[in-house]
Amino acid sequence: MSKRQLAMVMDLNKCIGCQTCTVACKTQWTNRNGREYMYWNNVETYPGDGYPKKWMELGGGFDAAGDLKEGVIPNIEADYGVPWDFSYDEIATFNFRENNPTAAFHADSTPTWGPNWDEDEGAGNFPSDNYFFYLPRICNHCTNPGCLSACPRDAIFKRDEDGVVLVDLDRCQGYRYCIAGCPYKKIYFNSKISKSEKCILCFPRIEQGLPPACAQQCVGRIRFVGFLDDEEGQVHKLVHKYKVALPLRSDYGTQPNVYYIPPTEAPAKFDAEGKIIEGSQRVPMKELETLFGKDVHAAIKTIKAEKDKRAKTGESELMDLLIAYHHEDMFRLDANYYQDVAKAKGANPLAPIDSRYAKGKFTKEIHFKAHA
Amino acid sequence: MKTIIKSLIIAGLATATYAKTPASATAENLINAQRVSNINVANISPSDNIWKNAKSVSVIFYPQTTIKLNDAKANATNKDNKAITAQVSAVYNNSAVAFKISWSDPTQSVQSGNVSDVYPDGFAMQMPVSFSDPKKLPYIGMGSEGRLVLVHLTKATSVHYEPNGNGDVEHQISPHNKNAFGADLKNYNDKVNKLGKNAYTRSFISEGFRSMTELKDGSDKFGMKMTYDAKSKRWTGVVAKQLRDGAADLSKYGALPVSFAIWDGDKYNRGGVKSLSTWLAVKLQGKAGGDALVKELTAKPQGDVKAGQAQVEAMCASCHTLSPTKQAASPFMAPNLNNIGGYSTNAYLAESIKDPNAVVVAGYNRNAHKGFAWYNVDAKTGKRTSTMPAMMSDDKSINDAVAYLKTLKAEVAK
Repeated sequence: MSKRQLAMVMDLNKCIGCQTCTVACKTQWTNRNGREYMYWNNVETYPGDGYPKKWMELGGGFDAAGDLKEGVIPNIEADYGVPWDFSYDEIATFNFRENNPTAAFHADSTPTWGPNWDEDEGAGNFPSDNYFFYLPRICNHCTNPGCLSACPRDAIFKRDEDGVVLVDLDRCQGYRYCIAGCPYKKIYFNSKISKSEKCILCFPRIEQGLPPACAQQCVGRIRFVGFLDDEEGQVHKLVHKYKVALPLRSDYGTQPNVYYIPPTEAPAKFDAEGKIIEGSQRVPMKELETLFGKDVHAAIKTIKAEKDKRAKTGESELMDLLIAYHHEDMFRLDANYYQDVAKAKGANPLAPIDSRYAKGKFTKEIHFKAHA
Repeated sequence: MKTIIKSLIIAGLATATYAKTPASATAENLINAQRVSNINVANISPSDNIWKNAKSVSVIFYPQTTIKLNDAKANATNKDNKAITAQVSAVYNNSAVAFKISWSDPTQSVQSGNVSDVYPDGFAMQMPVSFSDPKKLPYIGMGSEGRLVLVHLTKATSVHYEPNGNGDVEHQISPHNKNAFGADLKNYNDKVNKLGKNAYTRSFISEGFRSMTELKDGSDKFGMKMTYDAKSKRWTGVVAKQLRDGAADLSKYGALPVSFAIWDGDKYNRGGVKSLSTWLAVKLQGKAGGDALVKELTAKPQGDVKAGQAQVEAMCASCHTLSPTKQAASPFMAPNLNNIGGYSTNAYLAESIKDPNAVVVAGYNRNAHKGFAWYNVDAKTGKRTSTMPAMMSDDKSINDAVAYLKTLKAEVAK
């Protein structure tokens, strides 16, 4: 366990599935260098197979005794989906005068799966009881990470300063046990460099007091970022004070640090005549229990009670938090904190503070003494 | 009916030959390296003239079963692995030693392109960084604390790249992101390809499982190559290393300990799932010294197998799995001894029974099976102490136990 833990809370009532977070992350980190197929941040429709395909059935995480469980490593074409490209080059060089002037514009592969492949399909029958909601997912920067535990080379580490889980690319040799060990399948294999890579919680931004790109760009203002032990912070209040933000699939035993406000605001079901069934629940509680555990009942009760209280009295701290009047208030980060850590280590406060990560990237010489 | 009888006879014959082969091959564990004039270390090749008169010996490779990692498909595929036989030959001169190793693999697996679950075939050679007492060689599984090994590894990969492109990040951008077409795009792609490396060939220094660290300072002077013959369905790998380089000095010995590992990509083999040999003695023909090492590594255990079995089953079986039918209470409790007789030396087994702290096997990631710590770490000194108590102290019991433990190994595949 780290000294402090950064956490993110995502309000599922407010996610509109616009994928702005996905694109923010992709352009920042994964549109190059063998990461093209990876989505460190993705938004999937629930219920649905998700990304990678059926990730919840691929194993990993821990059993009740605390032993790491076996898992399956997804296939790039069948389970992740290979990013295809169009024949721009062919068109740019195509001699339309000499050849039959038909545009030779086509995809370079025939995809069978990809992120968000089953968008908005959901479950149930339209319009009486169909339902779905969006589930944005990043690495959970778990307190007990499955990926870290699976690595036979100790190449994955958890930063003491903020609990961010990172891959030491110098130690990683591309065995991929981490992928089997992560029950969320949020660590990926980069075949170009033959090493594993994952969401870094935008640590170079975090260290400068900026939120991760996915949270900064979120148009629905669904993402809160802060330290769990910061009692004045929204993250602490939502997770520990009101207990309305819950970890995803905590039954995997990795103690994830991304928390979700469960979806409460679905319309009621309709009967055969299309009339509203009063008091009915469109999103089945059973599904929410699967995702967020038994605590979801209490969380939903609290949210509804606070909503009523706000309607009646005009006051509710929880509702004010969830409305998020000012985007900047959703992030409680502290560049000074990181500078103090850097100072204590005697490091340059402007450089990324994690020496181990930096070393992994740039070290030319790691050497045991010969003839010792 | 005829066919059934015929196949039964063949099966019978097969068992008969099997009974002979491993006995003679494992008892040997000796490779005679012939002296040659010139070894081209950096560009060693299986077709070099130096191999012309080199005699090969059979070496048996046992499946690594000491720990079981968490890839469900790999575990299912490799569950009933048998030992495999490879042909190994060696040559040397004053400054270098080279090995040729040839093994059967019905499928050529190359890691190439955009893949997530494809693994390459490969092989590795392991040597101690230094050694003095042949009874205290490094632990076969990548060395142990204070007994360092040097590992040279090559895998069948197509182009792969350094994470930071050796500083040239600009040429790591996907061609699709490059605003270039036609000749410009081709030039760009050519430059990108130049940054890639065609063979995944690396050296590591290691003092135990999990500690393996890549050498990146160029101090390791070695060369490796592997080629696949589609007709005979065999890989031939060669590895040459300078006897003295910045990483190790083995120039003074008349015999060297060496071990090899083989990966079968088709069976999801990679770190942790592989076949490995025990420490083999390489006698440098015509060079004095090394007799003690040869004697130690070729010696047959002298103890009483039956007496050893009774002791081991009584004292060790509650923590250690001894065979597929003699399972410990939990597979994570202690090193699995299924193939210990295949890849461990007599001396290592005796030493570990007497003093479990002499070599502490690092085993699993410390966070994977928290209920089963294989060792404790002294907070002040960082020294590891095995959680296994010393089991036997009299030589007779230890010799008997070693004799039994040496019988624990997989069958050899035909």
